Amino acid sequence: MQTANDNFLILLQENKRILFKICNAYCNNAADREDLAQEMIYQLWKSFQSYNTEYRFSTWMYRVALNVAISFYRKEKRTFQKVMIGDQVLTLTDDNLSSSELEANIILLQQFIHELKELDRALMLLYLEEKSYLEIAEILGITETNIATKISRIKEKLKTRFRNINTF
Amino acid sequence: MDDIELKQLWKAYDHKLERSLALNLHIVTAIQTQKANAKLRSLAIFKKIAVVIGILWVIFLGCCVLHSFAYQKIFFVVSALAVMIITSITILLYIYQIVLIRQINNSESITATQTKLSVLQASTLQGVRIAFLQMPFYTTFFFSPAWISSDWAFWLIPLPITLVFATAAIWLYRNINFKNADKKWFRVLFNTPEWKNVIKAKEFVGEIEKFKEEL
Repeated sequence: MQTANDNFLILLQENKRILFKICNAYCNNAADREDLAQEMIYQLWKSFQSYNTEYRFSTWMYRVALNVAISFYRKEKRTFQKVMIGDQVLTLTDDNLSSSELEANIILLQQFIHELKELDRALMLLYLEEKSYLEIAEILGITETNIATKISRIKEKLKTRFRNINTF
Repeated sequence: MDDIELKQLWKAYDHKLERSLALNLHIVTAIQTQKANAKLRSLAIFKKIAVVIGILWVIFLGCCVLHSFAYQKIFFVVSALAVMIITSITILLYIYQIVLIRQINNSESITATQTKLSVLQASTLQGVRIAFLQMPFYTTFFFSPAWISSDWAFWLIPLPITLVFATAAIWLYRNINFKNADKKWFRVLFNTPEWKNVIKAKEFVGEIEKFKEEL
């Protein structure tokens, strides 16, 4: 029989990419990324009892993880207690992407996301993850119409950014 | 780069992570146990301790006042009562903050949770404003009618000190607010990372409101 902890670990394993992407969007350096990943996992575990299985785990996970990431990002002095084991909770076994052009574009996209304000950053991550407007509205707590307008504005900025880079 | 290309790019990134991202379960288990032990250090616990100390302080002052009802101790009684009232207001503010902390739930929508967190942080400035009002009363509790009527030195040293403290307390109470956050004296007074977070929190409440507005 599976315990709540087993379930949690299975779901976390399946959705670990969400954590990695959020850490990359909200942190500049590896040490901060590790702190944030640990804090997100702890807060997810703490809130797991209140998780309603009627909803998709990834939607719930986004809500908790993005809330933790925004709070973390806004702190001037970070005082999260870190588990010191010498290893990282999330590790990439292969750092290189298949094509260098693809890699360059992904880095550029991440850089652009990082330049956005905290809430716009969350919105963009959810949009790229192909969440529906309804789901994004539920996660962020704003209306669907508002989301559509904001996304089109951010995309415009993004396109201009890529266009400018490609002309050089 | 159009919509489709953008999403394809993100998918390529996702596939790469799928292939090469590893979750260290050994650390996850350590996080679940070790971090839970650190819960005692949480903000709510600190505030609860402050409430208990504040209540004990008010009770102590109340007992002192009950045993001091005499004309010669009138200044002590008035000062202690003033400190009791101001401390009680601060206690109420702390209780309000504890209630806010209990309401914060990371599973709620991002704008709802972040607004609560920012309002909580911003409310700590109210506590400081109120606490400053106590200052002059700590300089008056040892005054007595006999001292005032018999010693000229009273008018030269203790009274001016009290007046300076009273002026400073009223000035700080009136001026410690977010409108003055960019003033030099404010930045000197609140020059710690914790206070910078409080100021940023207030700004963030405005940002969230703007974010929620229909464009």
